[in-house]
Amino acid sequence: MIKTFQNRRTAVLYIVPALLFILLFVFLPIILNLYNSLFRWNSFDAERTFVGLEYYGRLFKDPVFFTALKNNSLYAIASLVFQVGAGLIIAAILEDKLIRKFQPFFRTVFFLPSVISIAVVGLVWQLLYNPEVGLVNGVLKAIGQEEWARSWLGDSDVAIYAVVAVSQWQYTGYMVMLFLIAMQKIPNEYYEAAMIDGASKIKTFFHVTVPQIKEMILVGSVITVIGAFKVFDEVYVMTSGGPGRSTEVLGTMLYRSAFRNDEMGYASTIGTIVFVITLTLSLIQMKLGKSGQEV
Amino acid sequence: MKRKAGFILAVMLMMSLLVAGCSSSSSTKEEESGKVVLKFLHKWPQPEFAPYFEDVVKEFEKENPDIKIKMEAVADEPMKDKLRVILGGNEIPDVMFSWSGEFARKFVRAGAALDLTPYLNEDTAWKENFIPASLQPFVSDGKNYGIPLRFNGKFFVYNKKIFDKYNLQAPKTWDEFLQVLDTLKKGGETPIILGNQDPWPAIHYLTGLNQKLVPQDVRMKDYNPKTGEFTDPGYVKAMEMLADLNKKGYFMKNVNSSSHDMASQLFFAGKGAIFYLELEEFAEAEKNMKGNWGFFPMPAITDGKGNQNYITGAPDGFIVSSKTKHPKEAIKFLKFLTSKENALKLVKEIGWPSPIEGATNPDTALKEVAEGVDYMKKAEGMAEWLDTDVNAKVADVYLSNIQLLLDGSKTPEQVIKQVQKVAKQIQSEAD
Repeated sequence: MIKTFQNRRTAVLYIVPALLFILLFVFLPIILNLYNSLFRWNSFDAERTFVGLEYYGRLFKDPVFFTALKNNSLYAIASLVFQVGAGLIIAAILEDKLIRKFQPFFRTVFFLPSVISIAVVGLVWQLLYNPEVGLVNGVLKAIGQEEWARSWLGDSDVAIYAVVAVSQWQYTGYMVMLFLIAMQKIPNEYYEAAMIDGASKIKTFFHVTVPQIKEMILVGSVITVIGAFKVFDEVYVMTSGGPGRSTEVLGTMLYRSAFRNDEMGYASTIGTIVFVITLTLSLIQMKLGKSGQEV
Repeated sequence: MKRKAGFILAVMLMMSLLVAGCSSSSSTKEEESGKVVLKFLHKWPQPEFAPYFEDVVKEFEKENPDIKIKMEAVADEPMKDKLRVILGGNEIPDVMFSWSGEFARKFVRAGAALDLTPYLNEDTAWKENFIPASLQPFVSDGKNYGIPLRFNGKFFVYNKKIFDKYNLQAPKTWDEFLQVLDTLKKGGETPIILGNQDPWPAIHYLTGLNQKLVPQDVRMKDYNPKTGEFTDPGYVKAMEMLADLNKKGYFMKNVNSSSHDMASQLFFAGKGAIFYLELEEFAEAEKNMKGNWGFFPMPAITDGKGNQNYITGAPDGFIVSSKTKHPKEAIKFLKFLTSKENALKLVKEIGWPSPIEGATNPDTALKEVAEGVDYMKKAEGMAEWLDTDVNAKVADVYLSNIQLLLDGSKTPEQVIKQVQKVAKQIQSEAD
């Protein structure tokens, strides 16, 4: 009895420092951010004016907010389809017996983009997308699809797709890597059993591979969807939200409010909304996956 | 035994780190040894400009052995964010870069900038050294808050060979300008080079057009965040004229996806006839085009309601933190930076136009730069950059919409409506 009590006390003692850290560096900023969103203030002026929930009202009337939401959603959907969906298929193909020999080569090639710094990636793609000297239009012209060639980042109708595409190019390989690791943990007996039962490759994929790496798929989709709502740097480097406001995402909108328009309160409001969105989405995903373990 | 020694060493290391971390910043230490430390933040980290500042600082430290300058530099775009963040913290530089106009005034309103009027009045020789038009944009409510380092103007630079081919002269009025452009277009040339990926180059056009089309007092009232309304028809007309240049095909193709640097390369390579450039870029033009260029200010608009004898441009320079512990030393340093000797050095070594009377002359500077400064001296006033002369939020509306204006997806009326809405909102917040 006494022993359990002592054990518990020791356990608590061990947890306290970590708990304090999390309280101080995770929960306190969230609460402070909420508090800050109730004031009109900027970073260089000590004066603050209480405005209550005014910024929340303004945010839901701000057309840029809805452009940003739409763009973030586009990011999330594209990331789910390409990074998780296509990533899963690519990983399964690479794990196939026929290709496994070349796996290290393909794995490296696919993974390479995700280790390059985003600033570099952004600048390189800016050049590739350049309407005059860029490779993208060059290739389109070479294969006789000249009417497809356009000013990719300068056209407000297509710019956001061009930016989203770069993210898929960069991170699909990363997801492939995660899925490969998970797949290699699946015991070979399952595949042998499936083969003896006469299951086709596609059937094996859906009935053996996918259920076995369910946890990793969940983790992958949580990471990509949350990442899609926090995206900032790719957009900032390539278009900074332009042309006009067509590629604005919540991250760039927040940055613009805070450091260009001197509206820290409005930026805090956007921050709070981003927090609410990502929290809700991850709760939903965990619920759908019925667990959040092995994360 | 060995392990114990290692352990003690580790503990001592940690303790020393802790102590070092606690003893507040190094500046106090320096002060104890009798030295004043001034923190200096400027905007030119580029390898062609930075050495000038390093030299000047070294020289200053040699003359004033009791003052030490801690210099830091960040580039143009990041500076806009850096200043806002840094002024909210505790490590505020004593002397820091700022643009003139509203950009500096918002720091003045927040009480972050030191009033320099007494120091200027105390040393009239210093004050009279400046071309008056270069001090003016740093004035707020009759007080001086900034000291200019450069005096920058915007001019149309043209390719002489192309102009000669069509027998063209530098235009004096906007109508002549349009004729020139038309001739060039018909001849199959690209009349104007523009790289508007970052939208400030087109904003510089609008800076001049607004000034020339809107009566001066109305414009000043509108640019003041407390009274801004932007209801004058001149603002719409200005945007129409800019959009027209593109509609008629006078700008190069793909203006919104070409950067200013890329555009410069095109112009220097002779791929276009006219390019809107700043005085500080003249040295670069000369280096690449070797005499094959000339320039003219934005042509007068005959029926424009604004003053036609203004030049687009502004000084940029330095403000002093209101929280500085060493105002005297900071002023001393500023005086050194703007001394005739260093101004001459600035003009000679990096080819920038100086606001110091007589520093930018044909002996020290490129002939064209000296002529440009003359234009500004003779002008009745300066039209300061639209993106730093109005409230940041109004500037933001202009900056983010000008690309859409150029590609035709928004009309001038739509943009100005948004400007008016934001101006109203700012007014309500100012009360």
